[in-house]
Amino acid sequence: MSASLKPSSLEEPHLPGETGVWVFILGDMLMFALLFSVFVYYRSEDVPLFSHSQTTLNQTLGAFNTLLMLSSSWFVALAIHSARKNLGNISARFFSLAFLCGLGFVVVKFFEYREKIIAGFTITTNDFYMYYFMLTGIHLVHVVIGMGVLAFLIMTSRNPNLEDSHVNVLESGASFWHMVDILWIVLFALFYLLR
Amino acid sequence: MICAWCAIPFIVLFTIGIWPLAGFMPPPSAGFGAAEIASIYQENNLSIRSGALLMMASAGLMCPFLAAIAMQMRAIEGRHGVLTITQISAGTVSVVAFVFATVAWTAAAFRPERSGDLTQLLNDIGWIYFLMTFTTFVVQDFAVGFAILGDKNEHPVFPRWLGYFNLWVGVTFMPAALLTYFKTGPFAWNGLFVWWIPLVVFFSWYATMFVYIRGNILRQSAASQAT
Repeated sequence: MSASLKPSSLEEPHLPGETGVWVFILGDMLMFALLFSVFVYYRSEDVPLFSHSQTTLNQTLGAFNTLLMLSSSWFVALAIHSARKNLGNISARFFSLAFLCGLGFVVVKFFEYREKIIAGFTITTNDFYMYYFMLTGIHLVHVVIGMGVLAFLIMTSRNPNLEDSHVNVLESGASFWHMVDILWIVLFALFYLLR
Repeated sequence: MICAWCAIPFIVLFTIGIWPLAGFMPPPSAGFGAAEIASIYQENNLSIRSGALLMMASAGLMCPFLAAIAMQMRAIEGRHGVLTITQISAGTVSVVAFVFATVAWTAAAFRPERSGDLTQLLNDIGWIYFLMTFTTFVVQDFAVGFAILGDKNEHPVFPRWLGYFNLWVGVTFMPAALLTYFKTGPFAWNGLFVWWIPLVVFFSWYATMFVYIRGNILRQSAASQAT
């Protein structure tokens, strides 16, 4: 195991989780940065179309999903906090709440997609809706993967004797979930709010 | 060791085949009509055939490299590793898809005089075989990634970041599936997220795995000679 697993004072600045997981997180965020740039580029080519299509999105559902994502991140942070105090059961409960928020996000997204498709908006409607479905869809895949990670964290944290190596695993998974959250915040701003 | 080194002739043959010979760098646009596709295959007929031949020759060289990866995974998992077998089988299916793609391109170039519609059809089949078959590659990368992360050896076979790197490589290949919806733009088969990013990521994956496998084999053979 790596040196980062040695007991360290939590007051010291430290990189959450193991170093390797940041290879994945930064790589994935690079990928999304490219997706966002492509969206912004095509938007700049035809601002009226993108602005007009934006008004047909359901801002309430989008905002509700943002709330779910932010709450889930808060639960994850609380779970890590409890785990550091060796309160495995409480930690597992907070991770479960975060998992439920993730599930809620998927359900809301399902109804949002359904509403759009019934109203006749699909990926072939225009560039805005093409990017809307593609980018939120790619993000949704990340949410589902993240829920798998959270399920793993629930099982890991249900340990009466949490050691530093366990906390390190929990931090790695939590960092991934925070990334899924922050990507949604950017998507929400780009698709629902950008004027 | 020879198996691991097969990675190099694979990359060389594949690159020469697809780039200067076939001229598929970037690929002919998914938005081209039948006449445009037909004229590409007519004008570059001999070079496309030769390029496809080289790519076909390179395909087989992926197999020994898969075996070299599998041997390192076996050092992690033991003789009966499930992920090792997953890696081999998923990797093998990717090779099959690769072979079929070159078959389709060859068939398209084989009778350039035939109707443009048919050439376009074969060209479509070739590119869809080549780029949309992401799932086996994703599973292969995930198998390698999870094996590395699950390494319980005192001295892990690979560094842990390489495990996360493999998972990331798998994720970057997922948008390739979207080519089914697009003829233009960043998700078409000649677009940023289906062609350019997977291409760069694939080669960096190949190069990184080669460097680490070569290093491991050198270390392992030094260790076995010492004992």
